[in-house]
Amino acid sequence: MFRFALRNLLRRPVRLALATGGVMVGISVWLLLMALGDGYRAGLRTELDRAGIQLMVVPLGCPYDAAARVLKGRSLETSLPSEVLGRVRSDPDVSLAAPLLIVSTPREDERRSDLWVGLDDSGRALRPWWKAAQGAGWFTSTNGFILGSEAALIEMRSVGDRLHSPELGQTFRVDGILSRSGTSDDSLFFIPLSAAQRMVGQEGRLTAVAVRLRDPARLREVMQRFQELPGAQVVTMTEMMGTFLRLLGTVRSLTIALTLAACVVGILGLLNTLLAAVVERSHELRLLRALGASRSQVMGLVILEAVLMMWAGLLLGVAMAFLMGLVLEPMLQPLLPLAPLDHLLDWRLVRLLQCLIAGVVGAFLAATLPAVYVGRLQPAGALTP
Amino acid sequence: MRNKPDTEPHPILIQAEGLSKVYRRGSETVAALHGVTFEIRRGEFVAITGPSGSGKTTLLNLLGAMDVPTAGTLILDGFDVASLTESGRTQLRRHRVGFVFQHFGLVPTLTVEENVALPAFFARRNDARQVSELLETVGLGHRRNYYPSELSGGEMQRAAIARALVNRPPLWPADEPTGNLDMQTGLTVLGLFRRLNADGLTVLVVTHNDVIASAANRRLDLRDGRLMGPDTGPTSMPRVPAGPG
Ligand SMILES: Nc1ncnc2c1ncn2[C@@H]1O[C@H](COP(=O)(O)OP(=O)(O)OP(=O)(O)O)[C@@H](O)[C@H]1O
Ligand SMILES: [Mg+2]
Repeated sequence: MFRFALRNLLRRPVRLALATGGVMVGISVWLLLMALGDGYRAGLRTELDRAGIQLMVVPLGCPYDAAARVLKGRSLETSLPSEVLGRVRSDPDVSLAAPLLIVSTPREDERRSDLWVGLDDSGRALRPWWKAAQGAGWFTSTNGFILGSEAALIEMRSVGDRLHSPELGQTFRVDGILSRSGTSDDSLFFIPLSAAQRMVGQEGRLTAVAVRLRDPARLREVMQRFQELPGAQVVTMTEMMGTFLRLLGTVRSLTIALTLAACVVGILGLLNTLLAAVVERSHELRLLRALGASRSQVMGLVILEAVLMMWAGLLLGVAMAFLMGLVLEPMLQPLLPLAPLDHLLDWRLVRLLQCLIAGVVGAFLAATLPAVYVGRLQPAGALTP
Repeated sequence: MRNKPDTEPHPILIQAEGLSKVYRRGSETVAALHGVTFEIRRGEFVAITGPSGSGKTTLLNLLGAMDVPTAGTLILDGFDVASLTESGRTQLRRHRVGFVFQHFGLVPTLTVEENVALPAFFARRNDARQVSELLETVGLGHRRNYYPSELSGGEMQRAAIARALVNRPPLWPADEPTGNLDMQTGLTVLGLFRRLNADGLTVLVVTHNDVIASAANRRLDLRDGRLMGPDTGPTSMPRVPAGPG
C-alpha cells in the first residue's frame, strides 16, 4: 500500500514538487519564526539577568533606547549630570551603583567606530562571567585596557601591546583579553572610567549608572526616589524586557497570522492536487474496487498519499528551516535590539512536534474531500475504458 | 452475512430471475436489460453474445457484483446481490469473482507481479509463491518485474488472467477478453480459458468472436436487453468440480 501510494505520487513529479514545496516553505517559515521568538526571549532574559541589576539611571530621552544602547555598548549623545552618581550611591537601598561612560571613536578609514566603555571598579562586580583568556581580568593601571575576544582578533593585539592615541596624547597598554562570552562584551574595548572621561575631556561625565539593590522587592520605592533626580530617568530591567518582548510579540502575531494564511493556502493547494490526481485516476480507482478493494481501502490510499506528501514537505521544510537559520542568524543579529550574540535561534523539539502534528492534521483535512469523492466511485465503470 | 450458502457448494452458481437494469441519466432513462431469467451451473463455460448495445456488459456487471439490478433477483453463489450491503458486495467481488477486462485493467505503476498480487493484497493475504506459480501457469514467469507498458497485448491479458485467479474465485467473468488481441493471441488465451474451465472454474465470456463462442458449452444471446431463443441449459454437463476454488 505504502509503495503503491509512493509510486502514484511519483507518477506526477512536477505536481508532487509543487505541492510539497508549498508545505515546505510554510513549515520552514513557521519553524524559523518560532525559533527566533524563543531564542530572542531566552537570550534577552539571560542577558538581563546575568548582570544582576534591577534598574538603570539614564539621561532624559527615550529611556528604552538609552538603556538598550547602554546594554549593547553603544554611545549616547546625552549624558547624565555629574551629581547623579553620588546621589544614587548614597541611597540606602542601593547595594551597588556602577557608572559607565561609552565613547565612540570613529575610524574614517575603516568605516566603523571603536567603542570604548569606561568602567570603574564597581563595574567588575556586575560582570561575574568575565574570564581572561590572556593576561588579567581587570585593569592593572589607569591606562590599561581590556579587549573583548572579537575586538582583540580584529585589532590583532595581545597582552602587553601598547596603543598610542595621538588625539588624546595617551598610550594604553593591553592588560587582558577576555574569553568569548557570547554577549556584546566580545566586541568592546574596556578602559578605566577616568581614562574614558579624559578621552572626552570631561571630568565626571557618565552615560548611565547601573544599579543593584539590596532588596529587589523595594524597587518601587527606589524608583520613586530616583524619579526626582534632575536630568535623569530610571528604567527597570523588567520594564525593558517587557517592552522588547511586546515589540517582538506584535511582530510575531503578525507573522503568525501570515503563516496561518499560508498554511490555509497550502492545504487548499494540496487539496487541489489530490482532487485532480483522484479525478484523473478515477478509472483506475474503480478498477481497484472491481478487483475487491473496499471503499475504505481506496479512501485509505488517497489519505496515505496526502500524508506522505505532507510529510515529505515537512521534512524538507525542517531541513530548509535549519539551513535558512544558518544563513539568516548572522544577518538578523545586528538588526535586533539586544539580540543574544551566541544563539539568536532557539530550536525546540516542541515546535517540531507541533509542526508534525499540524502537518498530519492538515494532510487529513486536505484529503477529506478527495477521499469522499473516491468513496463514491462505483466499480461498475471499470469495464469500459 | 445474510443468506449464507450451504457448506456443500450448490451446483447452481448463478440464478437470475427477471433481471432488469435501468440506467438513469438526469431525466433520461435507458433500459439496458429487460427481465432476463437464466441459471448457470458450477463448471460451465458460457458465452454471452449479441450485437453492440444489447446489454452484455450490463449483464456482466451485475453477475460480477459490480452493480445492483433495478428489478429482479440475482443469487450469486448463494448470496442475494441486491440485498447485500456495499461491503458485502465488496466481499463477493473479492472472494468469488475474478474479473477479466477487455482493456486488461492493469495498474500502470505496478509491476506484473504486483498487479497479480493486488486482489490478494486487498484480501489481506500475501502469498508470493502462489503469485509466482500463477505467473508460470500463464507463461509470464520471465516478465514478473516488467511494467504493463513493457508488455505485449497478449502478455497483458495473461497477466490480467493470473490476477483474476489469485483469490481462487469460483466465478470468472470476462468482457471481450480477446477483443484487443489478434487471432493467434486470442486462441492462446482461449486455450488458457479451457484449461481453467477444465479445472472447475465457471467461465462467463462476453465475446463477438465465433471461435470463442463455439468453444463454450452454452451461449446466452442478448438482443436489446432480452435473451434470445430457447435457453436449453447446458448441452453437456462438464465433470463435477471437486469444490470451489
Ligand atoms: N452507465 C450507463 N449509463 C447510461 N446508459 C448506459 C450505461 N452503460 C450502458 N448504458 C446503455 O445501456 C445499453 C447497453 O449497454 P452495454 O454496455 O451493456 O452494451 P454491450 O452489449 O456491452 O455493447 P458492446 O458490445 O458495444 O460492448 C446501451 O444502450 C448503453 O448506451
Ligand atoms: Mg460491452
